[in-house]
Amino acid sequence: MDAELFAILAAWSVATLRSATPLIFATLGETLTQRVGVINLGIEGEMLMGACVGFAVGVATNNPWLGLMAGAFAGALLSLVYAFLVLVTHANQIGSGLAVWMIALGTTSYFGRALVGQQVTPLPNLGSDWMDDIPFLGVLFDQMTMAVPLAIAAVLFAAWWLANTRPGMQWRAVGESAVVAAENGIRPRLVRLHAIVVGGLLAGFGGAILSVDYTQTWAQEMTKGRGLIAVGLVIVARWKPILVLPICLVFGLAEVATLRVQSAGFAVSPHLLAAVPYLVVLLILIVSHIMPRRDTGMPADLKSVFA
Amino acid sequence: MSGPVVEFKAATKRFGATVAVDTATLDIRSGEVLAVLGENGAGKSTLMKMLYGIHPPSEGHILIDGKPSAVQGPADAMRNGIGMVFQHFSQFPALSVRDNLLLAWPKTPFWTGRRNAGIAPALATLAELAPHIDPDVRVADLSVGEQQLVELSKVLNISARIVIFDEPTSVLTPAEAHNLHGFIRRLADDGMAVILITHKLADVTACADRIAVMRRGAIVDVSASGEKPISSIVSLMMGKEIKRTLTAPKPIKQRVEQLFLNNVCAKAPGMELRNISLRIAKGEVLGIAGVAGNGQSLLADVIAGLHPITSGDVVLEGQSIARRDVRQTLATPLGYIPEQPRENAVVEDMTLLRNLNLRALAAGSRVDDEALDLLSRFNVNPPEPGRLAGSLSGGNLQKLVSARELGTPRSGVLACYPTMGLDLAAIEMVYQELFAQAEAGAAVIWISEDLDDLMLAAHRIAILREGEVVAVKDNDGTLSRDEIGALMTGLRIDEVAA
Repeated sequence: MDAELFAILAAWSVATLRSATPLIFATLGETLTQRVGVINLGIEGEMLMGACVGFAVGVATNNPWLGLMAGAFAGALLSLVYAFLVLVTHANQIGSGLAVWMIALGTTSYFGRALVGQQVTPLPNLGSDWMDDIPFLGVLFDQMTMAVPLAIAAVLFAAWWLANTRPGMQWRAVGESAVVAAENGIRPRLVRLHAIVVGGLLAGFGGAILSVDYTQTWAQEMTKGRGLIAVGLVIVARWKPILVLPICLVFGLAEVATLRVQSAGFAVSPHLLAAVPYLVVLLILIVSHIMPRRDTGMPADLKSVFA
Repeated sequence: MSGPVVEFKAATKRFGATVAVDTATLDIRSGEVLAVLGENGAGKSTLMKMLYGIHPPSEGHILIDGKPSAVQGPADAMRNGIGMVFQHFSQFPALSVRDNLLLAWPKTPFWTGRRNAGIAPALATLAELAPHIDPDVRVADLSVGEQQLVELSKVLNISARIVIFDEPTSVLTPAEAHNLHGFIRRLADDGMAVILITHKLADVTACADRIAVMRRGAIVDVSASGEKPISSIVSLMMGKEIKRTLTAPKPIKQRVEQLFLNNVCAKAPGMELRNISLRIAKGEVLGIAGVAGNGQSLLADVIAGLHPITSGDVVLEGQSIARRDVRQTLATPLGYIPEQPRENAVVEDMTLLRNLNLRALAAGSRVDDEALDLLSRFNVNPPEPGRLAGSLSGGNLQKLVSARELGTPRSGVLACYPTMGLDLAAIEMVYQELFAQAEAGAAVIWISEDLDDLMLAAHRIAILREGEVVAVKDNDGTLSRDEIGALMTGLRIDEVAA
């Protein structure tokens, strides 16, 4: 194998991973939220808030790690608003989610104006001098930050948590039926609060990675629907945390491919090309639902959201 | 045997104006199976829900171990060692058996991985009860009988010493029921107090030590198993010769058969109808008797075209009215009074007028306006056509349904427990209208739990047992309760009388 091919392969891999990382966090957060029977469309707003606050704190402190943590915290705080609407006032989940999204859209657009054009200190690369000589891995690590391994670890941890701990089991139970869970001595509202906040934390963190680590800029409405994509990818991943990883990577790969095709100078409208990742995911969704299966993996209590 | 673990002392439970349980006095002892026997609505479940803390008594009190019960709710009951296996299991079908057991177990450790020894006790009971159930299987993939064993394991896992079963065999196949009887016996032999709420005599004869019979909220009799003949238990349960001024329909002069059930077979979870053949003539009232849960509701659903038949046919005036496919569009021409009218016969959010005209609405034809007539003829109170059906009481709802189904001439009528929940005056009115349909030329099928009423008014009585018509008897005045009781229970007449 020649080194050139390795280099191209590595470049594509790392671009895919980096593009997918914010989405992995957001999709994982939404998966966990939906596993307790709650659909949070506000995740788009939580991502945006995380991106804005994370970037602001990153710029102010010159510390990207503080920025990421502040972003996660902002996402969690906004998810509390959603939790209040849904769990305390029993407002409609869809409407509450849209409201939270609009709140975030308005506030970040207003307060974010000062951030446009600012510079943030990026996360350090994982590569080191002795690695440079290793083919493939050298390039890979040289362009990768801690965000990527963190995303993979979060997915693995969440999958293990749901399957192997008492709280994880209770989350799954509440998602199947809050009524039966209560009969079994579980407090469904508390469990849902936990899951919504964890979802907000992950979405905010994903948003902060988008602004602080991936693009290293702030732009108004910069999440561009990634939160809503996450809601869709949850269905494609059949509500299984472990499937979040491959699904998001496919989406990331499609996104990278369209960018490369665009920069290679093909005469296709960039607006049309931008639709390709969504078409790919739609295709996966259709194929995976055509294949005969007994169950979709959908938590049963989610259906009551639409009742 | 030591003193009773639980004593009901003149415990009464009211829901508004209705008395569900009337001054019940009963004791429950360790090491024995107490069967609480009674028809639907006799107050059996309410009696035990008083003990379990779901419905604390309105008057009187309950002693546990001689001390007044402080049980305020199911969680309290579990702490006091009282467990209840409900008809509807509180299980998560999509989760594994292991998860279901661990979720209900108060001592579940934080780490629930399969290598953790701490979860073993939660699975041990099931392994003993039903070693063939794999804990990794989803509950949805188990049979109903197996699900019940999982539910029982959950109850036993909370170290219950008093176990209440609420109609446990109503969802089981005969073989599963037989197994369950064995389990119930073993629990009692291990020193537990077991309470078996049932309306099936088979459960009682199979495993009860003592029998408490309930009727209309009161405990009418407590006796040791075998002390009284089954026939007198049946009489106690069904009530004896209440004087009723029931005018029977006129005898049929000439048999012109109009409604046919030809070798009807159908299947539903836990019930199978086998080769049911009945011929009902113009003007005839055919009563269907049977102990509840022997296929009455499936038979009604099949005749009304709600449940598909697997073979055979139902024919009214030469036309098939049976459903063959769940997706088929089918409107029965029968006047049909289903059981539980609130769930099955009305649209609660629609007015009385619209409910009376549901058939016309469904067919998209014009709605005629004779509502007031019908409402007053059937004594629906209040007779306001614009009122929402959901606001009516149960009895008035039943009258509303009777008005719709019996208010216009029909060639066939199917009435399931048409007088349930009605007072005496309303009962007579409904019977009058039902028999008037027959006299005007309808073929009437009348499913009832009230043997006395059937024997007073039906031309013939078909007896349903385990999904089969075991006999069709001419009601010519020579029929005896014992004879029908024997057919209903499947025992020979001398056994019943013995």
